[in-house]
Amino acid sequence: MDVLNYPHVEETLYREVLDNGLEIIVLPKPGFQKTYATFATKYGSIDNHFAAGDETPLKVPDGIAHFLEHKMFEEPDGQDVFATFSKQGAAANAYTSFDRTVYLFSATEQIEENLMTLIDFVQRPHFTEQNVEKEKGIIAQEINMYNDNADWRVYYGLFEALYQKHPIAVDIAGTVESIYQIDKDLLYRCYNTFYHPSNMLLFVVGGVDAEQIIELVKSNQAQKEFAPLGEIQRFFDEEPKEIREQRKIKQLPVSLPKCMLGFKEAEVTKQGEELLRHEVESKLMLDILFGSSSPFYQSLYDQQLIFDSFGHEYNCSEQYAFSVIGGDTPDPDALIAAITKYLEETLQSGIDSERFEAVKRKKIGNYLRMLNSPESIATQFTRYRFRDCDMFNVLNYYQECTLENVNARLKEHFDFEQMAVSIVVSPTS
Amino acid sequence: MEFQVGSFKHLNIHVLPTNRFKTYSITLFAGTPLTEETVTTTALIPYVLRRGTARYPESIQLREQLDIMYGAGFGFHTVKRGNTQFVQMKMDVINDRFVNSEHSLLEEALNYLGDVLTNPLLENGSFREAYVEAEKSTLQKQLEAIINDKIQYAAERCVQEMCENEPYRLNASGKIQDIPHITGSSLFARYKQWLQDAKFDLYVVGDTTLEQVVQYVSQSFQLPDTATSIPYAPVERHQHVHSVKTVVDRLDVNQGKLNLGLRINAHYSDDNYVKALVYNGVLGAYPHSKLFVNVREKESLAYYCASRYDAHKGILTIQSGIEFSNYEKALNIINEQLENLKQGIISDEELEQTKAMLSNAMREILDNANDIAGFDFNKQFSGVDRTVESVIEQIAAVTKQDVQQIAAEVELDTIYFLRDLQEV
Repeated sequence: MDVLNYPHVEETLYREVLDNGLEIIVLPKPGFQKTYATFATKYGSIDNHFAAGDETPLKVPDGIAHFLEHKMFEEPDGQDVFATFSKQGAAANAYTSFDRTVYLFSATEQIEENLMTLIDFVQRPHFTEQNVEKEKGIIAQEINMYNDNADWRVYYGLFEALYQKHPIAVDIAGTVESIYQIDKDLLYRCYNTFYHPSNMLLFVVGGVDAEQIIELVKSNQAQKEFAPLGEIQRFFDEEPKEIREQRKIKQLPVSLPKCMLGFKEAEVTKQGEELLRHEVESKLMLDILFGSSSPFYQSLYDQQLIFDSFGHEYNCSEQYAFSVIGGDTPDPDALIAAITKYLEETLQSGIDSERFEAVKRKKIGNYLRMLNSPESIATQFTRYRFRDCDMFNVLNYYQECTLENVNARLKEHFDFEQMAVSIVVSPTS
Repeated sequence: MEFQVGSFKHLNIHVLPTNRFKTYSITLFAGTPLTEETVTTTALIPYVLRRGTARYPESIQLREQLDIMYGAGFGFHTVKRGNTQFVQMKMDVINDRFVNSEHSLLEEALNYLGDVLTNPLLENGSFREAYVEAEKSTLQKQLEAIINDKIQYAAERCVQEMCENEPYRLNASGKIQDIPHITGSSLFARYKQWLQDAKFDLYVVGDTTLEQVVQYVSQSFQLPDTATSIPYAPVERHQHVHSVKTVVDRLDVNQGKLNLGLRINAHYSDDNYVKALVYNGVLGAYPHSKLFVNVREKESLAYYCASRYDAHKGILTIQSGIEFSNYEKALNIINEQLENLKQGIISDEELEQTKAMLSNAMREILDNANDIAGFDFNKQFSGVDRTVESVIEQIAAVTKQDVQQIAAEVELDTIYFLRDLQEV
């Protein structure tokens, strides 16, 4: 068991990797009533083309990772594992994102039982033709629910406009058509490839004893056999540098148009800690430019071109990196023009050093505040761990970031050839 | 987990000294009666206050202060509980020991809040016109945007229809029609009155003391020396439903939204409150509940089908997203669950699972600073002193008969369905 101390944030992590490859992290929070545990696999919606060891590569229908997540809750005896968790006083849930699927619970009692339930149900898949068919109706409703959500539609529209081949542009839940192609054999193939303990991370945070938890999980895993898995290969078609389309418009009844623009980075080569530092610098740069305390934000708000919904984000991984900027606006074209002009000016003038210092403080504070939440710690730690970096280095990277760094990021990121726009407007009657 | 209670002028102050969290959590509750005449102006107040203070007249200066306080969070919400409209302001700031701050961040945060609340930017004896006009527009856009989130829209409409003749029909953020009539001076007049009328409760959770907080508050909260502080108005008691109202709205939507509004004869301040919590849990609050199991899992009719208990108002709502064509089928299954509860058809497992989940939710409150404050505030609002421990004890004692008794007095009031524009 490794002990990892992070004195600057007053946390200590305990870590062990088991013989079968499962990585366990425990973060004790003395005085806390609850325990929050996540059991995650490095398998998400983008992993639609893969092979383990010598297998023939397989391409799977869109939405299968998410479908699998739904079906995981079904037990061989016909019971739903939610019932077991409920009996044990645990609130359980799961979610699928681009690069991972996470199963979790939150509880204040029967922690050991709940932890065993969590591990066991994820390691006990039970897919049948019947239960697969049944889920299609439910997921179809989930898809329809998201299709009615204008914020989701405009956000996803940007992904679709920026990426030509990369599966990040494919809806995580798939489409109503694609999910009807899913069958139990495909689900088992995906499961057997990605749910091997060596591809998974268990994170437990709360009022627990680390050694006890690790011993418990160790003996649970010792009683199970996992056939060794060949190396997992994930295949991605090469993504061209160019964006797919400059402007994507969808029509949905909305009170005000929604407009998001983004820049796709063509050079995507960073990994691990280098990637994390890159992410930190990029987020800081974007907040300086577009955050609510920026003169630009204030000016656009005064012109009533934007409202409190205006925001920005930066997404990056080993395979993609892009920004998202926008919100509700009465005039998408005026907003796009204003942002473009502002970027051109800022590229000329560079970033102001006083503003840099103030926003740096803000980001440091935001990061520390986030550490108050056990759920956020589990989520963020897992996300970064699957990218071979350590969430607890974020604070250092903010502190070490210089004005030169953010100015360099500014120049690299905003290439107008790489910009796309996604708009949602009401249908014209 | 006892709050230390003090006061400054007519502001009640509640402090929970603890070093378990990395931050100071500050919440201010300001409650006034929910009325047609005042709902919109009251809702607009925090929007204008956050724009500028006497010390920092420009909005960007105020926002910079938050950055300088290491990204302190500041936000506000307007909500309704029973017959009361609450303006809630929240601040969240990191504990000094993690950063090299020159001054106490708690002091700075309370100064900020006090300034925003009581020392607004004034021009010609009133709010800056430009701020008032801008925020009127912002509030209007916000109200217009409710329709963008169909789930939220359907929930609003259901309550609006159900409580047609009650103040509760009002959206806590006001009415669009009122906005054009508001002027800088009418808003300022409302603001002065509101400072007088509101019941104010300030909560601070973090590594501090009551004395320290009272001292900081007295520095910057320029509250009037005397105030009228209108007491919270109690909600009307249970009225029988004469006939079920059915409303259908049509919009260009992909999915039908089915919402039911029901009257329940159990309020937060009642002895049977905990029994009603269990009733709602068995009905539809969890994945093991009757609604989830029967509408979603058994029949695949929905991704979500759940119930919510509004104890301050005494109503229960059920919500589900379905295919338009499954309206009758879904409604029948839902009615069946309601009827089963009236018949006392509850399994041991359903009851035990519900109790376990409720007890867990209660215990988890203690791990979140905002939830701890919120739970204690229920005591101030309802006049009933409940502790997490006592609620857990009461949950354990609830029987099937208790749940059946609650069910006996649950009455379906309104059925609301949001569907597409196609002719049926």
